[in-house]
Amino acid sequence: MRKIITVFLLALLAHIAHAELQVVATVPNMGALAREIGGDAVNVRVLAPPDRDAHYLEARPSMMAALRRADIVVSVGAELEIGWLPAAIQGGHNRRIQRGQPGYFEAARKVELIGVGKPADRALGDVHPMGNPHFYMDPERFAEAGYALAERFGSLSPDNAEYFMANAESVDERVSGMMPKWRERAESAHGVLLYHEDADYLLHALDVPVLGYIEPLPGIPPTARHLRSIISELSGRDGVIWTMDFQPAEGGQFLSRELGWPSVRLPSQVHTDGDLDDYFSMIDNWVDTLKVSE
Amino acid sequence: MIKYIFEGTRTVFILSVAMALSVAESGWAGNEELNASESNKHSHEMNGRGPASDPLDPVPYRMRALQLRDTAVPLTTGTEFNPAISVILDFTYANFTDDIDDPPGFLVGGGHGHGHGHGHGVEEGFNLREMEVTFSGSIDPYFDALAVFNVTPDDLEVEEAYITTRMLPAGLQVKAGKFLSDVGYINKQHIHDWLFVDAPWMREFMFGDEGLNEAGVQLSWVPPTPQYTRFGVEILEGATPGVSSFVGDGRHEIVTLLPDAGSPERVRWRADKGFSDTTGPRLFTGFAKWAPDLGYNHAIQFGTFGGYSREFQAEEVHSSGRLETWDGDAWFAGGDVVYKYDGQGVMGHGNVVIQAEYMYRELDLRYQSREFESFSSLVTTDANDQRWQQDGLYVQGVYGFLPRWNAGARLDILGLINDGFENRGDSVDFGTSYRYTGQVAYGPTEFSRIRAQVSYNDIADGHDEWQFMLQYSMSLGVHGAHAF
Repeated sequence: MRKIITVFLLALLAHIAHAELQVVATVPNMGALAREIGGDAVNVRVLAPPDRDAHYLEARPSMMAALRRADIVVSVGAELEIGWLPAAIQGGHNRRIQRGQPGYFEAARKVELIGVGKPADRALGDVHPMGNPHFYMDPERFAEAGYALAERFGSLSPDNAEYFMANAESVDERVSGMMPKWRERAESAHGVLLYHEDADYLLHALDVPVLGYIEPLPGIPPTARHLRSIISELSGRDGVIWTMDFQPAEGGQFLSRELGWPSVRLPSQVHTDGDLDDYFSMIDNWVDTLKVSE
Repeated sequence: MIKYIFEGTRTVFILSVAMALSVAESGWAGNEELNASESNKHSHEMNGRGPASDPLDPVPYRMRALQLRDTAVPLTTGTEFNPAISVILDFTYANFTDDIDDPPGFLVGGGHGHGHGHGHGVEEGFNLREMEVTFSGSIDPYFDALAVFNVTPDDLEVEEAYITTRMLPAGLQVKAGKFLSDVGYINKQHIHDWLFVDAPWMREFMFGDEGLNEAGVQLSWVPPTPQYTRFGVEILEGATPGVSSFVGDGRHEIVTLLPDAGSPERVRWRADKGFSDTTGPRLFTGFAKWAPDLGYNHAIQFGTFGGYSREFQAEEVHSSGRLETWDGDAWFAGGDVVYKYDGQGVMGHGNVVIQAEYMYRELDLRYQSREFESFSSLVTTDANDQRWQQDGLYVQGVYGFLPRWNAGARLDILGLINDGFENRGDSVDFGTSYRYTGQVAYGPTEFSRIRAQVSYNDIADGHDEWQFMLQYSMSLGVHGAHAF
């Protein structure tokens, strides 16, 4: 009898130990990271599709249903999701994922952000005094967040802690393997004119200058006056214009005609089921556009 | 086997503590280095430096990742331990072709408990309708708190002040304090959430200017189902004019001058009104919401709700000394649906919101008309039993026709069923009133909005009128995320 109970308890324990962690990621890039770190020990669901601006989503019942059953929510943080995630979490009625609990993860807390401590003055646009949240555009910071995520996954599922850490190391190694190639391809790039302060991280990582922003202020669509000032400042120089797929194309197209620069509009997130390979090809596509033709 | 697992966990733990400690030390050194390069950071941002000496990443990232183990760090800007504060200003300008008639039949007791001067009604001319000041934050790991003050030029009132639990198990949540009930869809929304300048008639006349806003306790449950469902019950004080009007015990009192030739005398007439002083809770409500998952672009939510008030008391005092009272109970029930489409455009371009609600209420009342028969007693001159049966609904839709712009239309119907009583006790069908509204809104950013609205009111008593309104609303400070 005792044997049976022991076996049963062991089986139960094994079941608990091996049950997949239910992970909810806010944006597809964080979903890809969670998938890569968690491997087959996690089940990942993504709240926002890749072609939306994560600043301006709305809390929806389907998000709340997903969060209700989550063991952990993996967010970018630094107030990127502030307009919807807190409401979705409150509607999810799940104590595991409340702020301050192990099941609440903000990746931006774990990496060095740029633009920290800018004045919290909305006359300067929709600013993020906590720092620029788009760190996921820098593959090295992305890998760095992977270690923090592995550690957090490990605290929720201690049996798999070493497995998660090994996965984080493999992400790190693969990123380290790619970075020199990307830097080489970006060498002698003239610089990039961005729509919003989002690809700054990638450009810093590749040592490519940021030539300016099509938005006059963060969150404010381009004005004719601002576009004219960009033209007068940059005409005669070389560069390329980057616009994310969810941002309006018109400003970039106009400047492309006026300056004679190539204008590219590409995704900044992998698809909702994406993994690290998809992330690499997303970065690849951006880096490709930096090639200097001459 | 179990022993091994524990052994393993302990080893990992000891190792990680040791690593964290050693890394924390080097982390400090790293931070100093970082501060030293801080001043140069901006000047180097444009021309950049080689990756080997990246000023943005002076400490190898691996080390820093391990150093940051805690979760108890501040998570919002500049608030630290202070609550997040937001201020929303709402200015209106309104011009009506006629004095506004209220749709007839909805104000039991001659209009007491309702008036356009107070609350969220829009008045003619320029007005600072309200300044809504909201404080929100976490009290401790177990409770969140929210307080909303409504400041008008002559008044300060607590619109909402409640706590919600964070740590209850099994998908349960308790809300306690003064709050807007979760019945229906629009009831719990504040002025700045509305897609029109004013509230639907249904909310205004079936509940009252403030909606169903009561002190009490709510328990709600979200089961762990793939489709979102939420069930809730509320135990409320019961003081909402439309469904739980309350007077309480008290005396009916008038003062007259008895004409005594040459030297008139002041005489006080005083008698008990006869209302029972039922201590709250008097109003009990329940609601259920269900939202199937329609993917990333579409969202729909269905809701149903109901409530019972064990007291409904209303009175009308005439200068003659006559006292009319209505005393009984009330119940209501209804349904709501909201559909949202994410147009994937910039600044709301292509978005669609369609919502509709229906509500029915029934009041079972004992009507009495009483007059003084002596200085201290009343005699009933007229009495009967009255059953008031009424309903209201609205359907509205808003479409983002350009970035930053949206336009919408709303149909209000009040009193498809509108059976009530005239004061003498005659049963009457008060008839159906209609309102047709159109609005256009422009929001330069998500923090400010200008809206113009026109309505045509076709009131059941035969009157009609046009209403024109302008609204400017703006949001200052840390404004929390909006619920669906």
